[in-house]
Amino acid sequence: MKADDRLSVIFAALADPTRRAILARLADGDATVTELAEPFSISLPAISRHLKVLERAGLISRSRSGQWRSSTLETAALKEATDWMERYRVFWDASFDRLDVHLRRIKEDRGGEGRERPARKGAQQ
Amino acid sequence: MTTEPRYELEISRVFDAPRELVYQAFTDPDQIAQWFGPIGWAVPRDTVEVDARPGGYQRFVMVNADDPGQRSPVNATFTEVVVNELLVGEQNVEGIPGFEGVATMTLRLEFHEEPGGKTRLELRQGPFSHQLEEGTREGWNSSFGKLDDLLAATRGH
Repeated sequence: MKADDRLSVIFAALADPTRRAILARLADGDATVTELAEPFSISLPAISRHLKVLERAGLISRSRSGQWRSSTLETAALKEATDWMERYRVFWDASFDRLDVHLRRIKEDRGGEGRERPARKGAQQ
Repeated sequence: MTTEPRYELEISRVFDAPRELVYQAFTDPDQIAQWFGPIGWAVPRDTVEVDARPGGYQRFVMVNADDPGQRSPVNATFTEVVVNELLVGEQNVEGIPGFEGVATMTLRLEFHEEPGGKTRLELRQGPFSHQLEEGTREGWNSSFGKLDDLLAATRGH
Protein backbone atom coordinates (compact mmCIF):
# COMPACT_ATOMS: atom_id res chain seq x y z
CA MET A 1 0.00 0.00 0.00
CA LYS A 2 1.21 3.50 -0.75
CA ALA A 3 1.94 5.66 2.29
CA ASP A 4 -1.00 7.98 1.55
CA ASP A 5 -3.42 5.08 1.14
CA ARG A 6 -2.24 3.49 4.35
CA LEU A 7 -2.66 6.78 6.18
CA SER A 8 -6.16 7.23 4.82
CA VAL A 9 -7.11 3.76 6.09
CA ILE A 10 -5.68 4.67 9.51
CA PHE A 11 -7.56 7.98 9.65
CA ALA A 12 -10.79 6.37 8.50
CA ALA A 13 -10.41 3.80 11.29
CA LEU A 14 -9.74 6.55 13.86
CA ALA A 15 -12.75 8.58 12.73
CA ASP A 16 -15.17 6.45 14.77
CA PRO A 17 -15.61 7.16 18.53
CA THR A 18 -16.28 3.50 19.38
CA ARG A 19 -13.10 2.43 17.68
CA ARG A 20 -11.13 5.12 19.49
CA ALA A 21 -12.59 3.92 22.77
CA ILE A 22 -11.56 0.36 21.89
CA LEU A 23 -8.01 1.54 21.25
CA ALA A 24 -7.99 3.39 24.57
CA ARG A 25 -9.13 0.19 26.33
CA LEU A 26 -6.38 -1.79 24.62
CA ALA A 27 -3.84 0.77 25.83
CA ASP A 28 -4.46 -0.78 29.27
CA GLY A 29 -3.70 -4.27 27.98
CA ASP A 30 -4.90 -7.00 25.63
CA ALA A 31 -8.60 -7.88 25.71
CA THR A 32 -11.07 -10.35 24.22
CA VAL A 33 -14.08 -9.34 22.15
CA THR A 34 -16.36 -9.93 25.14
CA GLU A 35 -14.24 -7.71 27.37
CA LEU A 36 -14.12 -5.01 24.73
CA ALA A 37 -17.90 -5.12 24.26
CA GLU A 38 -18.64 -4.61 27.98
CA PRO A 39 -18.70 -0.79 28.11
CA PHE A 40 -20.80 -0.48 24.96
CA SER A 41 -24.44 -1.16 24.29
CA ILE A 42 -23.70 -2.82 20.98
CA SER A 43 -23.57 -6.44 19.90
CA LEU A 44 -20.52 -8.68 19.78
CA PRO A 45 -20.73 -8.90 15.97
CA ALA A 46 -20.69 -5.09 15.81
CA ILE A 47 -17.58 -5.02 18.00
CA SER A 48 -16.03 -7.65 15.76
CA ARG A 49 -16.66 -5.49 12.75
CA HIS A 50 -14.93 -2.56 14.45
CA LEU A 51 -11.98 -4.82 15.30
CA LYS A 52 -11.73 -5.89 11.69
CA VAL A 53 -11.46 -2.24 10.60
CA LEU A 54 -8.80 -1.56 13.24
CA GLU A 55 -6.88 -4.67 12.24
CA ARG A 56 -6.93 -3.74 8.56
CA ALA A 57 -5.54 -0.30 9.47
CA GLY A 58 -2.72 -1.99 11.38
CA LEU A 59 -3.86 -0.34 14.61
CA ILE A 60 -4.35 -3.68 16.37
CA SER A 61 -3.30 -7.27 15.90
CA ARG A 62 -5.37 -10.30 16.96
CA SER A 63 -4.09 -13.58 18.26
CA ARG A 64 -5.02 -16.64 16.25
CA SER A 65 -4.90 -19.11 19.09
CA GLY A 66 -7.99 -20.72 20.58
CA GLN A 67 -11.52 -19.43 20.87
CA TRP A 68 -10.56 -16.51 23.11
CA ARG A 69 -8.99 -14.37 20.47
CA SER A 70 -7.49 -11.35 22.12
CA SER A 71 -6.61 -8.02 20.54
CA THR A 72 -3.35 -6.12 21.00
CA LEU A 73 -2.74 -2.44 20.35
CA GLU A 74 -0.14 -1.73 17.66
CA THR A 75 1.33 1.70 18.33
CA ALA A 76 3.31 2.12 15.11
CA ALA A 77 0.24 2.89 12.99
CA LEU A 78 -1.00 5.38 15.53
CA LYS A 79 2.34 7.11 15.59
CA GLU A 80 2.14 7.43 11.84
CA ALA A 81 -1.10 9.39 12.26
CA THR A 82 0.31 11.81 14.84
CA ASP A 83 3.50 12.21 12.83
CA TRP A 84 1.29 13.51 10.08
CA MET A 85 0.58 16.62 12.11
CA GLU A 86 4.28 17.03 12.78
CA ARG A 87 4.84 17.19 9.05
CA TYR A 88 3.02 20.52 9.05
CA ARG A 89 5.61 21.81 11.50
CA VAL A 90 8.41 20.70 9.22
CA PHE A 91 6.61 22.38 6.35
CA TRP A 92 6.41 25.72 8.17
CA ASP A 93 9.98 25.55 9.41
CA ALA A 94 11.25 25.03 5.87
CA SER A 95 9.02 27.81 4.53
CA PHE A 96 10.21 30.19 7.24
CA ASP A 97 13.84 29.46 6.38
CA ARG A 98 13.04 30.71 2.92
CA LEU A 99 11.16 33.69 4.34
CA ASP A 100 14.29 34.62 6.32
CA VAL A 101 16.32 34.78 3.14
CA HIS A 102 13.54 36.63 1.34
CA LEU A 103 13.23 39.30 4.05
CA ARG A 104 16.96 39.89 4.05
CA ARG A 105 16.85 40.53 0.33
CA ILE A 106 13.86 42.88 0.65
CA LYS A 107 15.62 44.90 3.35
CA GLU A 108 18.74 45.23 1.24
CA ASP A 109 16.64 46.41 -1.71
CA ARG A 110 15.09 49.07 0.49
CA GLY A 111 18.20 50.89 1.59
CA GLY A 112 20.54 48.42 3.14
CA GLU A 113 19.39 48.23 6.77
CA GLY A 114 20.57 44.64 6.84
CA ARG A 115 23.66 45.17 4.70
CA GLU A 116 26.17 44.64 7.45
CA ARG A 117 24.88 41.19 8.21
CA PRO A 118 26.52 38.43 6.23
CA ALA A 119 24.07 35.92 4.77
CA ARG A 120 23.67 33.15 7.28
CA LYS A 121 24.13 29.63 6.00
CA GLY A 122 22.32 26.69 7.46
CA ALA A 123 18.83 27.70 6.48
CA GLN A 124 18.54 24.83 4.05
CA GLN A 125 19.59 21.75 5.93
CA MET B 1 -11.68 16.06 34.35
CA THR B 2 -9.52 15.24 31.40
CA THR B 3 -7.94 18.11 29.58
CA GLU B 4 -8.67 18.22 25.92
CA PRO B 5 -5.74 17.31 23.70
CA ARG B 6 -4.83 20.34 21.68
CA TYR B 7 -3.98 18.83 18.35
CA GLU B 8 -3.01 22.32 17.39
CA LEU B 9 0.27 23.35 15.91
CA GLU B 10 2.07 26.29 17.55
CA ILE B 11 5.19 27.83 16.11
CA SER B 12 6.97 30.98 17.27
CA ARG B 13 9.73 32.48 15.18
CA VAL B 14 11.63 35.78 15.19
CA PHE B 15 12.46 37.39 11.87
CA ASP B 16 15.12 40.05 11.49
CA ALA B 17 12.84 42.53 9.76
CA PRO B 18 10.27 45.14 10.80
CA ARG B 19 6.70 44.04 11.26
CA GLU B 20 5.34 45.69 8.09
CA LEU B 21 7.81 43.76 5.95
CA VAL B 22 6.92 40.42 7.51
CA TYR B 23 3.22 41.16 7.19
CA GLN B 24 3.64 42.13 3.55
CA ALA B 25 5.46 38.88 2.85
CA PHE B 26 2.19 37.11 3.70
CA THR B 27 -0.15 39.44 1.85
CA ASP B 28 1.71 40.61 -1.27
CA PRO B 29 1.15 38.03 -4.07
CA ASP B 30 4.54 38.76 -5.66
CA GLN B 31 6.27 38.00 -2.37
CA ILE B 32 4.25 34.88 -1.53
CA ALA B 33 5.30 33.44 -4.87
CA GLN B 34 8.93 34.03 -3.93
CA TRP B 35 9.17 32.35 -0.55
CA PHE B 36 6.19 30.20 0.34
CA GLY B 37 6.59 26.44 0.49
CA PRO B 38 9.49 24.21 1.50
CA ILE B 39 12.53 23.57 -0.68
CA GLY B 40 11.46 21.65 -3.77
CA TRP B 41 8.06 23.32 -4.03
CA ALA B 42 7.22 26.41 -6.02
CA VAL B 43 4.24 28.73 -5.91
CA PRO B 44 3.64 29.99 -9.48
CA ARG B 45 2.88 33.70 -9.38
CA ASP B 46 -0.20 33.34 -11.59
CA THR B 47 -1.86 31.05 -9.02
CA VAL B 48 -1.65 33.62 -6.20
CA GLU B 49 -4.63 35.80 -5.33
CA VAL B 50 -4.92 37.81 -2.12
CA ASP B 51 -7.57 40.13 -0.78
CA ALA B 52 -6.41 40.90 2.75
CA ARG B 53 -9.52 42.04 4.59
CA PRO B 54 -12.19 40.24 6.63
CA GLY B 55 -14.17 38.10 4.21
CA GLY B 56 -11.33 38.36 1.69
CA TYR B 57 -9.24 35.47 0.45
CA GLN B 58 -5.78 34.05 -0.01
CA ARG B 59 -5.41 31.42 -2.71
CA PHE B 60 -2.42 29.80 -4.31
CA VAL B 61 -1.13 26.48 -5.55
CA MET B 62 2.07 24.77 -4.47
CA VAL B 63 3.68 22.73 -7.22
CA ASN B 64 6.31 20.06 -6.70
CA ALA B 65 9.41 21.03 -8.70
CA ASP B 66 10.38 17.45 -9.50
CA ASP B 67 6.88 16.28 -10.29
CA PRO B 68 4.73 19.21 -11.52
CA GLY B 69 1.69 16.91 -11.52
CA GLN B 70 1.82 17.07 -7.73
CA ARG B 71 -0.13 20.20 -6.90
CA SER B 72 -1.44 21.29 -3.53
CA PRO B 73 -4.00 24.10 -3.62
CA VAL B 74 -4.39 26.30 -0.57
CA ASN B 75 -7.62 28.21 -0.24
CA ALA B 76 -8.21 30.48 2.74
CA THR B 77 -10.86 32.99 3.72
CA PHE B 78 -9.80 35.73 6.12
CA THR B 79 -11.99 36.07 9.20
CA GLU B 80 -9.86 38.66 11.03
CA VAL B 81 -7.40 41.13 9.56
CA VAL B 82 -5.52 43.87 11.42
CA VAL B 83 -2.96 45.41 9.09
CA ASN B 84 0.61 44.64 10.19
CA GLU B 85 -0.67 42.82 13.30
CA LEU B 86 -2.99 39.91 12.69
CA LEU B 87 -4.19 37.52 9.99
CA VAL B 88 -6.73 34.83 10.79
CA GLY B 89 -8.03 32.60 8.03
CA GLU B 90 -10.20 29.54 7.62
CA GLN B 91 -8.28 27.19 5.38
CA ASN B 92 -9.93 24.63 3.22
CA VAL B 93 -7.56 21.75 2.85
CA GLU B 94 -8.26 19.19 0.17
CA GLY B 95 -6.89 15.73 -0.28
CA ILE B 96 -6.81 14.84 3.41
CA PRO B 97 -6.31 11.09 3.71
CA GLY B 98 -9.50 9.35 4.73
CA PHE B 99 -11.78 12.32 4.18
CA GLU B 100 -13.98 12.71 1.18
CA GLY B 101 -14.74 16.37 1.44
CA VAL B 102 -12.78 19.40 2.42
CA ALA B 103 -11.36 19.73 5.92
CA THR B 104 -11.33 23.14 7.56
CA MET B 105 -8.57 24.43 9.78
CA THR B 106 -7.91 27.83 11.26
CA LEU B 107 -4.57 29.49 10.64
CA ARG B 108 -3.75 32.38 12.96
CA LEU B 109 -0.71 34.57 12.38
CA GLU B 110 0.19 37.23 14.95
CA PHE B 111 2.94 39.74 14.16
CA HIS B 112 4.61 41.15 17.28
CA GLU B 113 7.22 43.92 17.35
CA GLU B 114 10.48 42.97 19.01
CA PRO B 115 13.43 45.20 19.98
CA GLY B 116 15.97 45.96 17.27
CA GLY B 117 13.46 46.16 14.45
CA LYS B 118 12.65 42.48 14.63
CA THR B 119 9.35 40.69 14.44
CA ARG B 120 8.10 37.69 16.36
CA LEU B 121 5.61 35.66 14.38
CA GLU B 122 3.21 33.46 16.36
CA LEU B 123 1.56 30.79 14.26
CA ARG B 124 -1.32 28.59 15.36
CA GLN B 125 -2.91 26.08 13.07
CA GLY B 126 -5.60 23.57 13.88
CA PRO B 127 -7.47 21.84 15.20
CA PHE B 128 -6.15 18.70 13.62
CA SER B 129 -8.50 16.65 15.74
CA HIS B 130 -11.53 17.76 13.70
CA GLN B 131 -10.21 15.73 10.85
CA LEU B 132 -10.41 12.65 13.01
CA GLU B 133 -13.76 13.34 14.54
CA GLU B 134 -16.48 13.42 11.91
CA GLY B 135 -18.53 15.80 13.96
CA THR B 136 -18.59 14.04 17.31
CA ARG B 137 -16.45 14.81 20.31
CA GLU B 138 -17.63 11.89 22.40
CA GLY B 139 -14.91 9.51 23.33
CA TRP B 140 -12.28 11.77 21.95
CA ASN B 141 -10.84 13.32 25.09
CA SER B 142 -10.27 10.21 27.14
CA SER B 143 -9.22 8.05 24.21
CA PHE B 144 -6.59 10.26 22.78
CA GLY B 145 -5.35 11.62 26.08
CA LYS B 146 -4.46 8.09 27.04
CA LEU B 147 -3.08 7.18 23.67
CA ASP B 148 -0.88 10.25 23.73
CA ASP B 149 0.63 9.11 27.01
CA LEU B 150 1.13 5.67 25.61
CA LEU B 151 2.86 6.98 22.53
CA ALA B 152 5.13 9.17 24.60
CA ALA B 153 6.06 6.10 26.64
CA THR B 154 6.75 3.89 23.61
CA ARG B 155 8.62 6.49 21.60
CA GLY B 156 11.89 5.73 23.32
CA HIS B 157 11.99 2.11 22.11
